[in-house]
Amino acid sequence: MIWHIAKKEIYYNLMTLRFVLMIILLPILMIANALIYGFGDNGYTAEIRDYNRKVNQGRSHIEKYAARGLGELAMVGPAEIPKRPPQLKFCADGIDALIPQSITIAHRINWERPEYEDLVESYSWRELWSLEYLPSNHGDDATTLIKIDWVFIGVFISFFVILFTFDAIAGERVRGTLSLMMSNPISHGQVLLAKYLGTFFTLIIPLLIGILMNLLIIYLSGNIPFDSGSWLRILGMIGLFALHISIFIFLGLFFSSRVSNAITSLVWLLLTWVCLAFIFPSLLGLFVGTLDPIPSMERISAEKRLQLANIEDEFRPAALVEATKLSEAPSVDNPSATRLWATYFRERSEVQTRIADARVDQQLRQVQLACELTQISPTACFQYTIEGLANTGIVSYISFVKQVRRYRNTFIDFIKTEDKSDPHSLHIYPVREGLSQKPVDPETVPIFKERISHQNAIFPLGLLILYNALFFIAAQLSFLKCDLK
Amino acid sequence: MILWQLLTINFLTLTKRIEWKSVFQHNGEKHFILNTRYIPMATLWLVIQREFLSNVLTSRFIIGFIICLMSTAAAVFVQVEDYEKRLAAYHTAVQEHQETARTWDLYSQINPKAHRKPNSLSIFNVGMEKSGADMVSIQLATPIWEKAAQKHGSDNPFLSIFLAIDAIFIFKIILSALAILFAYNTISGEHEDGTLKLVLSNPIPRDTLVIGKYLGGMLSLFPMVVISFIIGILIAYASPATDFNGADLFRLVAVLILSLLYVSTCYLLGMLLSVWTKEATTTLILSMFIWGILTILHSNMATFAVMKFPPYQPQAEKEILQHIQQRWEDFREERDAYVLKKWRYEHPASAITPISDGNFLVAMYTSSPEEIGYSEFYYIKQIHIVDVSKFQEVLNYQEPLRIDYANQAEALLKRKEQVEERNRQFVKGISRFSFADAYRFAVGAITDTDRESYQDFIRRARRYKRQVVDYLSGKNAFSARAWFSSDQGGAELIDLPIFQHPHNSFPESLSRASADIFILLVWNIVLFIAAYVSFLRYEIS
Repeated sequence: MIWHIAKKEIYYNLMTLRFVLMIILLPILMIANALIYGFGDNGYTAEIRDYNRKVNQGRSHIEKYAARGLGELAMVGPAEIPKRPPQLKFCADGIDALIPQSITIAHRINWERPEYEDLVESYSWRELWSLEYLPSNHGDDATTLIKIDWVFIGVFISFFVILFTFDAIAGERVRGTLSLMMSNPISHGQVLLAKYLGTFFTLIIPLLIGILMNLLIIYLSGNIPFDSGSWLRILGMIGLFALHISIFIFLGLFFSSRVSNAITSLVWLLLTWVCLAFIFPSLLGLFVGTLDPIPSMERISAEKRLQLANIEDEFRPAALVEATKLSEAPSVDNPSATRLWATYFRERSEVQTRIADARVDQQLRQVQLACELTQISPTACFQYTIEGLANTGIVSYISFVKQVRRYRNTFIDFIKTEDKSDPHSLHIYPVREGLSQKPVDPETVPIFKERISHQNAIFPLGLLILYNALFFIAAQLSFLKCDLK
Repeated sequence: MILWQLLTINFLTLTKRIEWKSVFQHNGEKHFILNTRYIPMATLWLVIQREFLSNVLTSRFIIGFIICLMSTAAAVFVQVEDYEKRLAAYHTAVQEHQETARTWDLYSQINPKAHRKPNSLSIFNVGMEKSGADMVSIQLATPIWEKAAQKHGSDNPFLSIFLAIDAIFIFKIILSALAILFAYNTISGEHEDGTLKLVLSNPIPRDTLVIGKYLGGMLSLFPMVVISFIIGILIAYASPATDFNGADLFRLVAVLILSLLYVSTCYLLGMLLSVWTKEATTTLILSMFIWGILTILHSNMATFAVMKFPPYQPQAEKEILQHIQQRWEDFREERDAYVLKKWRYEHPASAITPISDGNFLVAMYTSSPEEIGYSEFYYIKQIHIVDVSKFQEVLNYQEPLRIDYANQAEALLKRKEQVEERNRQFVKGISRFSFADAYRFAVGAITDTDRESYQDFIRRARRYKRQVVDYLSGKNAFSARAWFSSDQGGAELIDLPIFQHPHNSFPESLSRASADIFILLVWNIVLFIAAYVSFLRYEIS
């Protein structure tokens, strides 16, 4: 009986105008997505070329400085660390333009002040390397950031779900067929399930066809290589589409049985949809700035200036050159001077690293909070899950930052252990002269490897399932309570 | 209700077609209609009234009203907070800059900055305000480039991953949907109910009915727009940071009128579809579909497609940067050749000659080759034992040349920007077809937060740089001793021009918005005529 009603529902849907419109629009969107990402300019090919170029630059950078000795390498550090461009960008590209695609390394070079030559031994030095989290600079209108990716197509399908479900119950009630149907030996739950299945299949089948067309074009274009992992992830995304659609079907059935006429149900649904798809995710995201404020950029830089000035005053006071602790340049033969310089460098580097890291941590924590808040919208959950699978979005940047920091420790550990093996070295980190002067085998220097985990997708996925359950119960209850006439 | 009756009566007396007396004597509904039978204005008023009431008393009106009001209020609230932050950041930046400016004592050291003041109208329409740079650092021999401009306002650049929702976005999406929801059953709904036949059996001309239905619908949407808008303005006004002046209020009124025009377009679209289709559900689906395409899909698709397949190919950035580096090589060659030919010096610094015994040191700092500009600073130690008069002559020759080369580099970058701009204009041209985007562009122009006004900032920054150069050459600063040393008195920079970025005047903004306003008007007229004509030919079965 369930299947019978579902079939009737599907046949009915197939004959409607909305189905025709959907069957036209959905493939257009999917093909547009495929063409743009498969063939478009600066697509995956260009990105991966750029990435490989940067990786090679990093390698030759390490080779160059490793040949100059461990001390030099320790101060210079690795080159810019690029983030691997995701293959599945066509699935979730929405905000990638706003997220930095690499972490750069700051180098500051200092020339000794020539004024005090008679008091201070001249020493030109390079400050210890530190990570620099530069924001990506884009110059476009913020409201035009929506991209035609799968996430957007998902949002558009949820719009169609509304158009399919708003009169599912209310329409039948008006036509009088609802009470006829219920006069059969069938429970409320079964009718609801049948309605659900009917709508679900009418939507999912065109979607699947669209996705197949999309993947076929992208595959034939040959610009984006697929491995078994990415096929699996795509399969997961199709499952997400199904979950997302199903939430909105339940929502539609809920309103449709709740209110007396179809148009009121549509108004409710439409406004709920606009709120869930656009307004909540953005307003809540922006609201975080008020909810959990972080210190302003000016305050942070003032603090940094102050702390650096304190160190400067301790070691190399500008006003009282005679009192400078760093009057002698570091050298292999002068361990005490080298040690002093090491303390100076370490303290400076600690301040810089601490403040830069804390800054970006605060910013990312704020964004993460915003993401968590916005997850009250199923559409946002859908977006985050797809981003988690495609390894794009802010969450992937957060995990990238963590891995780069881990790499920083690995690199420093490598320098220290390598230094220990050289008996001629003073073992004073971080001064060029205090470390081994021997060239290093560039093969042994650790290089950065990004490990991609999809753990980030689990939480929003759980929420998606939870929303399904919640809206199912809501729809069920409201249908149980609804009048048949 | 009584108030309504009185209003009606007043209106009818104003039209001088009905007398007070007769209305008061027979205040009953029936007589009222009888009285107005031969009076088209009164009939029209009746239709309007009926349409208005049938809209206002529905649940969709109440839900729509509440949602529209609440989301506008929330959006304005969030944007006000953001504006306050940006304004505070702007003031700090300007103050810091003033403090640094006081420490300048060499002409070659100055580094004026052009700060963009946040626009208070961005509370309603964010546009480019948040994504664009708000500080341009002026260095004499560094070309000003949009991409190199900096941002100081944002404490958290990552938060820009969330769509910037503002009151205008809410109007664009929600009001249009509501307008369509009000209009979809004006004709087809009545046709289905059978009331259309009844109405037309009265001596009501069809044109009166169409106009009445249009005006009635608009009248019911009118309070929604106006009240949401006023609430938004009040919230913005409550913040101490906002300072709306008279011109701003004019602009806000213009935005309000545009919003009404936009709502009217959407309403007319719904009405037209309602005439064209026989069933209300079909109208609804079709109009919602068109709504989705016009408000959300169309411009994003256009922007995105053009971004990926640009019709005009700008020169690759890498090529331009290489070219600029080459130009700086050329500069050095040209300068060295001239200095050698005229003064027989190998290098400008060779022009510094000792006048008495002792060691002196000339330190020269040049920028690294990756930079788009070329900076060169000289520092002369023990300046009292050297003669710098020749060096000043050399500088007087080389500094204007350096600035000239920087201008050439700027021209190269500008050409790339112009090509990119043509792509943007192309997108804009396509997007405009959708009245939702025409509305967005028109409002952007009027609130002065669109891309053009952002570019105006960059243009002004460039002009400011020229002013600074003129100022310096007017003071003969290039050949002054204070260019490189402050031992005989530092640079006098009291009257250094200050960057000013006044907003476009209201008529200018209006003329910039005129194309889009025209498009909105054309849409309105075309849709109205189409609905009107179609309804005149409508067959009532």
